[in-house]
Amino acid sequence: MTVDLTQFHDAFFEESFEALDAMEAALLKLDIGAPDPELINTIFRVAHSIKGGSATFGFTEIASFTHSLETLLDELRSGTMPVTDQVSDTLLKSVDVMRAMLRAVQAKQPIDAQRVSDLQFDLEVIIATKNAAPAAATPPAAAPAAVPAAASPAPPPRWQVRFRPFRELMARGNDPLRMLRELHELGEVRTQIDAQNLPPLADIEPQDCHLAWTLELPGEIAEEAIRQVFDWAEGDCDLTIERLGDVPAVPPAHKPAEPTVEGIVAETLAAPSAPPESAPAASAPAPAATPRSDTPAKTESGPGAPGDSGSIRVSVDKIDELMNTVGELVITQAMLSQLGGQFEGPQAEQLRAGLGQLERNMRELQESVMRVRMLPISFVFSRFPRMVRDLAHRLGKQIELKLTGEQTELDKTVLEKIGDPLVHLVRNCIDHGIEPPEKRIAAGKPAAGTVHLDAAHRGGNIAVEVSDDGGGLDKERILAKARSRGLIGANDTLSDAEIYELIFLPGFSTAEKTTDLSGRGVGMDVVRRNVKSLGGKIEVNSESGRGSRFTITLPLTLAIVDGQSVAVGSETYIVPLISIVESMQLKNGNVSRLSGKGEVFSFRGDYLPIIRLHELFGVEPRTHELHEGLVVVAEGDGCRAGLFVDDLLGQQQVVIKSLETNYGHIEGISGATILGDGSVSLILDVPGLIRVASMRAAA
Amino acid sequence: MSTNSTGEQQHGVESRQVLTFVLGNETYGVDILRVQEIRGWTAVTKIPHAPPHVLGVLNLRGSIVPIVDLRMRFALERAEYTAITVIIVMSVVTASGRRDFGVVVDGVSDVVDVNAAEVKPAPELGERGATEYLLGLVTVAERMVVLLDIDRLIGRELTAIVSAEDAEPLAADAA
Repeated sequence: MTVDLTQFHDAFFEESFEALDAMEAALLKLDIGAPDPELINTIFRVAHSIKGGSATFGFTEIASFTHSLETLLDELRSGTMPVTDQVSDTLLKSVDVMRAMLRAVQAKQPIDAQRVSDLQFDLEVIIATKNAAPAAATPPAAAPAAVPAAASPAPPPRWQVRFRPFRELMARGNDPLRMLRELHELGEVRTQIDAQNLPPLADIEPQDCHLAWTLELPGEIAEEAIRQVFDWAEGDCDLTIERLGDVPAVPPAHKPAEPTVEGIVAETLAAPSAPPESAPAASAPAPAATPRSDTPAKTESGPGAPGDSGSIRVSVDKIDELMNTVGELVITQAMLSQLGGQFEGPQAEQLRAGLGQLERNMRELQESVMRVRMLPISFVFSRFPRMVRDLAHRLGKQIELKLTGEQTELDKTVLEKIGDPLVHLVRNCIDHGIEPPEKRIAAGKPAAGTVHLDAAHRGGNIAVEVSDDGGGLDKERILAKARSRGLIGANDTLSDAEIYELIFLPGFSTAEKTTDLSGRGVGMDVVRRNVKSLGGKIEVNSESGRGSRFTITLPLTLAIVDGQSVAVGSETYIVPLISIVESMQLKNGNVSRLSGKGEVFSFRGDYLPIIRLHELFGVEPRTHELHEGLVVVAEGDGCRAGLFVDDLLGQQQVVIKSLETNYGHIEGISGATILGDGSVSLILDVPGLIRVASMRAAA
Repeated sequence: MSTNSTGEQQHGVESRQVLTFVLGNETYGVDILRVQEIRGWTAVTKIPHAPPHVLGVLNLRGSIVPIVDLRMRFALERAEYTAITVIIVMSVVTASGRRDFGVVVDGVSDVVDVNAAEVKPAPELGERGATEYLLGLVTVAERMVVLLDIDRLIGRELTAIVSAEDAEPLAADAA
């Protein structure tokens, strides 16, 4: 009998990712020169527990890498090596590499061995340099054989760029093709494509990027110019830019010492290790060590995950199930209340009191369950200190990141989707908002710019603000660009707000070099689209010379909506309250027909189209006469329309259920909900409805 | 049960249980492992722009399930929905994952064991009677049972409905 270790994999990955986050946070807090020993200990523990875990599970590459890392950390811990900028950079890179390795192993995909061994080599060089320092002049241990190779006559210097985008590069609004084109503008490019990660055709997601490139450019191009091309892909790809033709200190394909793995296994399991002939041997000792194999991993990871007192890990599926059951209970309770109202007799009063109590308890239960799904936004904010540090470093800017409202809670699904838009916004602020230090001082501002991320609850929504104290949006440039792209006419006059709106237009993007300040439009349309898909909106405010502020307003949860039920014939539909302007009854006179086709009515000085829901949905209504029914004035995507319905029923919070799980998407419908009597009611998607209706009118 | 299964193994024949139901004069069968539950008829909520045989959706313990009328799907004469009309909730496997849906049938008959060896291929009926969603024919108690491949019968359609709508909204009933 062998214990199937794979059952512990998920827990290992989850704990490791969290531990890496902790390690990254600790690294960022680490002071160069005078490091806090407690922080170093935290970092060491993370590396150690990941090493132990990965060796146990037979992830040899990770184990080998973390072993080197641990050696370096041990030097830091004992104080024999000072913490320098170089060391801290390398350690941060190690966090990235470990994350990438864990992700690859988790997805059962090949590890990017080149990237790992490059960094592992760097680690070993740091250790070796330190050890070699007293002995003097001994080159790094791995290199001696390679030195003669450098003696061959040097070819003209060239740049070699290795560009390996992560799979999700395009989803972040980057386009590799555009970057390659830009490189071609710099000079003659020799391109080599690496398609080995390309999955079989049937499995290809068109949004994913599977290709990698090796590019050679003439040596006279400035490194800065090449880097700029990849500015926006930063963090979404592996990029190395090397100068060829200079002295190659290291042959490119060096392999780190393998045998360490066996050592680690033995050390971790404290059990006789397998003979070291084969590489996957690391999994072999597992059976022998079964009784103990999972224990070391567990106990070691304990101290690695800080501050998780009194919490347990629950899978999202279980919570969703719980939510579902509670939803059902609410429906049953509503049914009972309805019935209870009809009871007569001496005990009816008692029954109703009991039902009232039940209703209150139900509401509390529902709210508590909802809260279980809520997580503080710090889960998203925590990635920014690192990103800001790296970007500021590279752009030569001084930036202070201010985070407030990190404890604001929101639904996990919303949380997961808000990260990318925020990354985009923060990058924009740093790259184009904050000026270089000289310019800031000249403008009478402190040399260090501030990027401020703030989150707060506002009503039933959460507002996330990204603001900077940089130069603000440049109206003239935005206008000029919009004109050159034909987005507006040459003589259109626009208000400030309208000008800022332009940056969200799909055509307003970045075909130009990112040095251009109007490059602020990078992927802004993508940002807006993402925010909209969450039922939120994004606004921008800017003051020239003082900075700009982007405000994202999102619903707290995607699971519940405040709705107005309306009746059309025998059907009941839910209109989200957020999209309702008002409801009114039309008089016979104030409806006009446009060229015998669409109907319009006047509403506060505007003419709005009437959408007859019964026609759109093919339902037999109670009345066809507009003045006998009601019109719900609704707004979506900046357009207003009157929805003609038979009657208004009532307002209630409804739990949103997906129609797509078992059926599919229906234009104009955002989902369904279950009413008090157990029947299903469709929830209208007002922007979609208006779109559909106008397409229909045009047809 | 155990003797039964060893017997099968000796003959090397695959056997499975099939739920049979009646539709008009015909008896049909589906793999019982696909059946989630059997329930009585309740009024459905109509879905806009759905094909005629998709009657609407129902609440099945918290999830929203589309209901298909097999009579209309097979172009049979339409029957009245009454309190004894039955809905069989099944799951199909489609390109986009598992989906649950209900089919309205006249009545549920029985659960029978069917030996793979006894299943006869459906004869080619030319263009009219599309046989692609038939797994085959089998005789049970002297009645012919038509075994349905619900993945093909319903799964593909559900997928097709959705993708067609995405491509051209409202094409179905633009009037």
